[in-house]
Amino acid sequence: MFARLILISWRNVMRNKRRTMITGVAIGVGLAAMMFSDALFAGMSTLMVETTTDTWMGDAQIHREGFQETANITFTIQHPQRIDSMLQADTLAVASTGRLISPASLQSAMEMKPVTLMGVDHLTEGQVSMLEAATDTGNYFSGDSMEMIIGYKLAADMDLALGDIAVITTAMAESGFASRMFRVSGICKFGSDQYDRYTAFVNIESAGSLLDLTGELHEIAIRFSDPMVAMDPDLPFWTVFSADSNKAEGWPVLAPQITSMIRMANVSLGIQAAILFGLVLFGIVNSLFMSVYERMYEFGVMKAVGTSKRAIILMVLLEAFWLGLAGSIIGTLLGFGVIQYFASVGISFGEVDFSGVMFDRPIHTLVDWSRLWIYPAATLLFTTLAGIYPGIHAGNLNPSEAMRKSL
Amino acid sequence: MNTDNANKVIVTKGLKKTYHDNGVPVEAVRGIDFTLTEGEFTAIIGPSGSGKTTFLNLMAGLDSPTDGEVELSGKLISAMSGKELSNYRRDHIGFIFQAYNLFPVLTVEENIEYIMLLQGIKKKERHERVINILKQVELEDYAHRLPSKLSGGQQQRVAVARAMVSRPKLIIADEPTANLDSKTSGDLLDMMRKLNEETGMTFLFSTHDEIVMKRARKVVTLRDGLLDTAEEKLIQ
Repeated sequence: MFARLILISWRNVMRNKRRTMITGVAIGVGLAAMMFSDALFAGMSTLMVETTTDTWMGDAQIHREGFQETANITFTIQHPQRIDSMLQADTLAVASTGRLISPASLQSAMEMKPVTLMGVDHLTEGQVSMLEAATDTGNYFSGDSMEMIIGYKLAADMDLALGDIAVITTAMAESGFASRMFRVSGICKFGSDQYDRYTAFVNIESAGSLLDLTGELHEIAIRFSDPMVAMDPDLPFWTVFSADSNKAEGWPVLAPQITSMIRMANVSLGIQAAILFGLVLFGIVNSLFMSVYERMYEFGVMKAVGTSKRAIILMVLLEAFWLGLAGSIIGTLLGFGVIQYFASVGISFGEVDFSGVMFDRPIHTLVDWSRLWIYPAATLLFTTLAGIYPGIHAGNLNPSEAMRKSL
Repeated sequence: MNTDNANKVIVTKGLKKTYHDNGVPVEAVRGIDFTLTEGEFTAIIGPSGSGKTTFLNLMAGLDSPTDGEVELSGKLISAMSGKELSNYRRDHIGFIFQAYNLFPVLTVEENIEYIMLLQGIKKKERHERVINILKQVELEDYAHRLPSKLSGGQQQRVAVARAMVSRPKLIIADEPTANLDSKTSGDLLDMMRKLNEETGMTFLFSTHDEIVMKRARKVVTLRDGLLDTAEEKLIQ
């Protein structure tokens, strides 16, 4: 009997092809919109994370406890060589680089500005941050102790050009101040004021001698094989590298505003999904009720000849299932097509500086079937469940009344 | 079943049905005592609005009476649950309605075997019965057609086949010729009467069609919701 009900329900759905097509397309468009929104949010989240981590932060960082809160340059990382060895052996970390960071002042012949002195390891920095890629004028570090890279805005403010000399003055770790001359070897453009206007990059050895912290590190930035791994707060990595007064943290902790944005995007996506599924649900209920009312006489005859209430409910549920299946197929194909198109061309929202990170790249929709399959499946489930109410209504019809009303 | 009820397919006692049409009570059936015995080929006649369809629906358990009782083969309908009644109809009553009573999405063959499917009859037996009944109603070449591809007379013959194929005790036909021309109506009634004679199944019609009345063996008249016993006729 179930096989026959499947057949009858399919043929019933195909009786009014235009209505089925319109309903299927309505479901499909709703589904495609949901899939597109999800893919867009996924692309946006990935872009935000990648931009944030690629620019400077890396996927994780290790500091001495208290350094970030106080910027006290004496809070250097404990046992940096041992940590470096551990990172070399760690399967999660694919690259890492050490840095020295200190407040300083930069003085040219014309100007003096407060900056953050950033001592970087020129051999490994490029594997973690975009400093090398962002140095679009002059040269990246070669290892010369006089080299300095500054942002294009800082260069303009200080009236500095390639080859010009500037002096960096900073407090030393133990006591006193130190000054040293550097030559502008490169000018970089990150797209963010934090690095383009307020940071001076030098070789880590030079920074170490200036700060009297040779061989020490304030920060180790780490690149993971997958940035999203850092979202796991229970990752053993955090415990292993948070020892001896050091603290290892991932980008969700280091850039909580990004995590909040992603969480907010997920919540709004959930609300949007609830609204869309609600609309689809009512649309299906309406369509099925119309179909039931048009076939009152048939339901009356079915009941009269002994068809059980359960069989009638099941038949209407199956009709809803077919509508849902049609809508899911249409929606999946449509959604996939739109997502693929925007995955290829991207959507540009212009340049946005958010928490020191410039989001200027177009957002490419991200096809992640581990998430996207939920939408067609949920559509199919909800549209089928939408058949319950009209099904019960049809199942409860009094046969004589149903036949009388429809005559 | 007690001996009093032997051979009695339907017995009604003081059967009443009052509808409310926009709040106005309408007494469609006003206290009918009626007995239908096995093998009868009986027509209930009466003008439109006399309560024929309501009376048939009450006897078939498609509607519940306001007052009075209906016994189907000795069992009180009021004592049956909805499911029992549904199963009783499925197993013991065949229905022929005015028109459009075939499932439009099923072929002739599928329509005929529908009730047997509900009864859980095996596929092989279903197929054999369908072939036989199609021969009896002379529609063996139309097995795979949809009802919409048949004439009105052919559709009603399929309805007769569907009603009979499950071998019920009783066939209830509500104005089966209402939408047919006189020749087709006559042919259909001749066929039904022949089936009645061959199988002994009980037929009960509601009609105001002269053609049906002429072929019925017994005619009872319903007027204003009451049986007009003076006009009950036995026709040889």
